Amino acid sequence: MAGGGTPDSVGDLARERERFEREAAEVSSRDAWEALRLRWVGRKQGVVRALLAAIKEVPVEQKREYGQVVNLLKRRVESRLEELEGELERAERQAAIGAAAVDVTLPGRRPALGSLHPVSIVTQEIVEIFSAMGYSVAEGPEVEEDYYNFQALNFPPDHPARDTQDTFFVEGGKLLRTHTSPVQVRTMLEREEPPIRVICPGRAYRFDNDLRHSPMFHQVECLVVDKGITLGHLKGTLEAFVRKLFRPETGVRLRPSYFPFTEPSAEVDITCPFCSGDGCRTCSDTGWMEILGSGMVDPRVLAECGFDPEIYSGFAFGLGLDRVAMIRFDIPNIRVLFENDERLLRQVRG
Amino acid sequence: MDFSRDWIGQYVELPAVDELAAGLTEVGLTVEGSTESDGDVLLDVDVTTNRPDCMCHLGLAREVAVRFDKMLRVPSIQLAEVNEPAADAVEVALADGGGCPRYVARVVRGVKVGPSPGWLRTALESIGQRSINNIVDITNFVLWESGQPVHAFDLAKIEGAEIVVRRAEEGEKLTTLDGEERRLDPEILVIADAARAVALAGIMGGLDSEVGERTTDVLIECAHFDPTVVRKGAGRLAMHTDASHRFERGADPEAPKWAAARVAGLIAEMAGGEILAGAVDQRSEHYPAPLAGRLDLGRLEAFGGVEIPREEVVRILTGLGFELAPDGESAWQVAVPSWRYHDMKFTRADGAVYEADLFEEALRHVGFENIPSALPPVEKPDSGSSAPHEQRQRIRSYLAACGLAETINYAFHAAADDGSFGIWAEGEPIRVANPLSELYDVMRRSLLVGLVDSAWFNIRRGAEAVRLFESGHLFPAAGAPELETVGLVMGGARGMPWQRRTELDLFDLKGCVEGLAAHFGVSVEARVADPPGVVAGTGATVHVAGRLEVVGWMGRLELDTPYPVFGAELEVGALAEGERFSTVSAPSRHPAVAVDLTLTHAADLPWREIESAITSAGVENLTSFGLKDRYEGEGVPSGAVNTTIYFVYNAEDRSLTQDEVNSRQRALTEKLEARFGWRQA
Repeated sequence: MAGGGTPDSVGDLARERERFEREAAEVSSRDAWEALRLRWVGRKQGVVRALLAAIKEVPVEQKREYGQVVNLLKRRVESRLEELEGELERAERQAAIGAAAVDVTLPGRRPALGSLHPVSIVTQEIVEIFSAMGYSVAEGPEVEEDYYNFQALNFPPDHPARDTQDTFFVEGGKLLRTHTSPVQVRTMLEREEPPIRVICPGRAYRFDNDLRHSPMFHQVECLVVDKGITLGHLKGTLEAFVRKLFRPETGVRLRPSYFPFTEPSAEVDITCPFCSGDGCRTCSDTGWMEILGSGMVDPRVLAECGFDPEIYSGFAFGLGLDRVAMIRFDIPNIRVLFENDERLLRQVRG
Repeated sequence: MDFSRDWIGQYVELPAVDELAAGLTEVGLTVEGSTESDGDVLLDVDVTTNRPDCMCHLGLAREVAVRFDKMLRVPSIQLAEVNEPAADAVEVALADGGGCPRYVARVVRGVKVGPSPGWLRTALESIGQRSINNIVDITNFVLWESGQPVHAFDLAKIEGAEIVVRRAEEGEKLTTLDGEERRLDPEILVIADAARAVALAGIMGGLDSEVGERTTDVLIECAHFDPTVVRKGAGRLAMHTDASHRFERGADPEAPKWAAARVAGLIAEMAGGEILAGAVDQRSEHYPAPLAGRLDLGRLEAFGGVEIPREEVVRILTGLGFELAPDGESAWQVAVPSWRYHDMKFTRADGAVYEADLFEEALRHVGFENIPSALPPVEKPDSGSSAPHEQRQRIRSYLAACGLAETINYAFHAAADDGSFGIWAEGEPIRVANPLSELYDVMRRSLLVGLVDSAWFNIRRGAEAVRLFESGHLFPAAGAPELETVGLVMGGARGMPWQRRTELDLFDLKGCVEGLAAHFGVSVEARVADPPGVVAGTGATVHVAGRLEVVGWMGRLELDTPYPVFGAELEVGALAEGERFSTVSAPSRHPAVAVDLTLTHAADLPWREIESAITSAGVENLTSFGLKDRYEGEGVPSGAVNTTIYFVYNAEDRSLTQDEVNSRQRALTEKLEARFGWRQA
């Protein structure tokens, strides 16, 4: 057989098949595949079609075998073309993937967010705890009058308890408030009548500067005044509060103490948040950590602020926010809190 | 303050030391530590300033007796006195009855001064006191026993055998027991004889009249001095003694009589001698009146939120020295023991002690641990407004979202830095009268002083960028209201090239300020100005759009930093004026048409003018426009700048045609070109 002419024997068919296999093996593109398809099974000049047509020239005794072999060839061509098409598709997909591929292990670009100060974060947590209980936030000036910082809080002039307050004075007779308690006084004086339920977060100042004390620090105070407020209410509120701020299983202990503006007064200890009360270095193996001062509002303070202590009672407590922030974020000393090192600040998660 | 367990045990039966420490702590006498020594235990007790009655072993024993329901054994005194009355041996005059409401003197003649017996030395040494001689040791012992300071004079050295309690004269001198010569003034109360001062009242005795080896006749002083007078005198002389510590906190006015007898008895027992009959006991009109009040069990229970058996209240208060007389079904008239007068002296207008004073006594011995916890009933939320706090919180969150880290700086700084930044100073700053150091002696009038310190702190540690903010109070002047501002500093280059590095400039900062204001529904604008500490030509004041008042400032800071640092400060009050709640307008459902215009104009033409020309042109369906880019350089004439502006047209009710947009934009472009377009000079 020559020039794609009509084969005349089964032997020729075998050569045709070999030719197909060679041509198929060389296909590496869609175009080549299409050319192969047209050449072998195209409707017009397809080799297979021509071979089938040639059956009439095949001697009678060979017709049956010839027909079978051509049909076999036809099926082979079709299946091989299908197979080749699949291979081509896979190769194309592979090529496409290769073009878009990235190293997904490269670092992502994080949005350049900033951060809130640890003290702001704990302040806000505390505000939220009390807001949910119906409290509002009261604020006041930091340069304060003696009256609001001391006298109205039952610290008469020359009272020894003033010694513990390490006051910064400013020229002109005022002082830097030594606690946020003057805000309580201002609130009581502004209000016509109870109920009062406020918290007073803010900065305060004392003449003190070491690893545990900063001359400026932050406090939050709480004040409740109404008819029928009890020492049990103070205890219950403290427990609810510290169990939200620290862990739900935090233990609370009230120790009677003395502050001029509350009576009775109590220091409040919680089970050490580091060792859960087992005893560790931070709590000097006591299992307890003193975190706040509290008490029932002294009747002299109520009277000074215009509320009859025969009718009304109240409780108050104050908490150092810097200390809480240090516990929460494991900050080693208070100076670190006000150095404003961005490397530290930006680690803080709210 | 250190106390000996064994000494307390002289007056009451004690439990094991752990239980004792816990018990004292539970009633308000916190035991901060205990140390064993020679079989005794030293207890470090934190006695609060209102409890001078517990600054002695007998006082602590009283609390222990009530806490553990034991008997208190107060030492009994039986004196063998001779016939000669003390009043013949010494005269006492209270020339300053305010400073000295009571003075009790006793005299013991013919004593033999010598070393103290072993038990006395041991008792004193157990609490760290040095033994001197039997007479002095006895006075010291009685102070630590009863809390009443006692002084012993050598009677022979008391000129005229008379005691006058008076104020010192200006310049009067006295050498005290510690050997110091002290120059006195009328602020200081002294004990004097006929000739001179012999002791500082309530503080320390004089060297001249001290009891020594040759002393035979002893004058025992047990007095009650006014707390403020002692406090001021001790303060004036910068002295602090065991005696002044107790007098300043309010001693027991009834104790002098008992203590004088106790001392006389112990002297006779240990140093021999004869106790003259009676005591000279002078009281002034300032001697405190007895205190009493009414205690109602029902009100006590309501205040504590706890039920307390009637007999328990009686047991506790009686044990603490209060005297109860029934006044109705379950109420009492309660007489206050003299050792608590000072603590309870600020009474109600009618002179009765506040019931809370009595409630406290009962409740601390009931035990705070026995009080059931409850939450107060909440009928309605508090009537106050938390708006300033909430606003501050939104400011912080917004600026943190802008990429800034929140800082907290001290509100005081060195006077030299006052005026370096800020626009709110009025006259002189507020000075701290007693600053920690000269680094912290004025109150800040700009947050930027601290923020710049913080920026430097980070830059020195190699920070390639700083982005910080703070919110806080400024103190513009004495008497002026405090002003709350928020301050920002920014500079450097943020991020590695992989993170698409940004060089931070003034407009990154300004964007934070504008964005912050917009977050509160306020539009702000910058006007050229020259605020302190800002590089000329980069400064501006910040205003609420269209308003004259200055609410802030911004600019490139005049600093010697390795990269430019920019700062801004804004009054937070300006943010309160905006609408608290934002509303939205729904975008058109029809497609928008975007057009750009590049205008070449003089480089010194402010954007603000172009912006307001576009706004005032009132172009129909122009829904937004803004600065797309700025370009100076090749192709742009020198002195000019190319400003590319984007415009977005959109109609509410239909799709705009390109022709419509083109004709409107053409008219606008012509207007802008005519007004601002670059013309070669």
